[in-house]
Amino acid sequence: MSNTVCVLPCNGLDKCAGDISRRVALKLTESEGVELICPVLLNQNKTRYDKVLEDGSLSVIDGCNTRCASKLAGSLEIAIKEKVNVSEVAKAQNIKLGVDIRDDEETDALVQVLLEKMSISEEKQADSQFIETETVEYESFSHGKFIFKVPKNNYFFNENDCWVSISGDIARVGVTDYVQQNLSDILYVDPPEIGQEIEQFDELGSIESSKTVFEIISPVSGTVVAVNDKLQDAPELVNESPYEKGWLVELRLSNFEEDKELLLDFEAYFEFLKRKVAETNV
Amino acid sequence: MSESTFMGVERDRIDWSPRIDFSKCNDCMDCVEFCPHQVFEVNENEKPKLKVKNPNNCVVFCRACGKTCGLDAITFPDKPETTKMIKAIRKAEKEAASDE
Repeated sequence: MSNTVCVLPCNGLDKCAGDISRRVALKLTESEGVELICPVLLNQNKTRYDKVLEDGSLSVIDGCNTRCASKLAGSLEIAIKEKVNVSEVAKAQNIKLGVDIRDDEETDALVQVLLEKMSISEEKQADSQFIETETVEYESFSHGKFIFKVPKNNYFFNENDCWVSISGDIARVGVTDYVQQNLSDILYVDPPEIGQEIEQFDELGSIESSKTVFEIISPVSGTVVAVNDKLQDAPELVNESPYEKGWLVELRLSNFEEDKELLLDFEAYFEFLKRKVAETNV
Repeated sequence: MSESTFMGVERDRIDWSPRIDFSKCNDCMDCVEFCPHQVFEVNENEKPKLKVKNPNNCVVFCRACGKTCGLDAITFPDKPETTKMIKAIRKAEKEAASDE
């Protein structure tokens, strides 16, 4: 497998954020092993890019929250390894973009920040500190043609269908089987930043399928110490093994005893999920 | 107890739903398309067209529709405040139950 990085930018040619996506994409393609993907041509004739996409990984640059580039990749069922959103990054940098195309110091600086974001994300990974239990036991129930699994020991759940498993003062967080079946094929995992401090029920990144985006609502409070970097190359692990290999984030717990009051244990979540599945047609 | 609860608290006692800033909204309806819980309603003949019809259908702590809004017209209540309120209601109910 070659290491080609395919860059799919937003195509908002007439707007500031779109223009910045284009500038970042062109800058990236100056490096070796980077292939630019034209969104219009990809949409019209995907086979034109089949070979590079098969051999390489996809990086997406969305201009704004309409996320046309991400949605295009989703509709063609191409897994995304990495992505940035120009408007979100601009907001974090306190830069007001506006609609009109600009070529000035502020936008140059933003292009630079975006380029850095796209190249350093792999180096930040910290090692997992979680000690896995040898076997996880499950109980399941079926509804129509679906079977839902829930782990029996050492897992707690919130009513937003996220789980947490504890090892000492380290917690692992992920989504339940119900979420992965609802979303179907997961194409992208957007992890939180290492070192980020999280309150219970804060957002811990998101996962995305061709159907929708699912926000991870943290069952616990703490500091993000690791993210599952295997998911960048293999987001399908969340579908295949939502409670084990498809874990999303590790946190160092800050107040689990208090967090626990608002969590469900196996029995309670199993009953909660049965009711929920019976009420909604999955 | 009402039919729908969140963490043991009746859903209608928890104030959690999207707030729309109509000075920013451009009627694109991406949020309506996104939300699978029928929180929104579209009335073609009214102004504004978009309405938060079923606020209690909104999944407490979910802010995902806000992310689909390119114009940032959707906001939500404060999360820590909401958590605090849920805890307070649970505590009060527990105390009331033990007094009986």
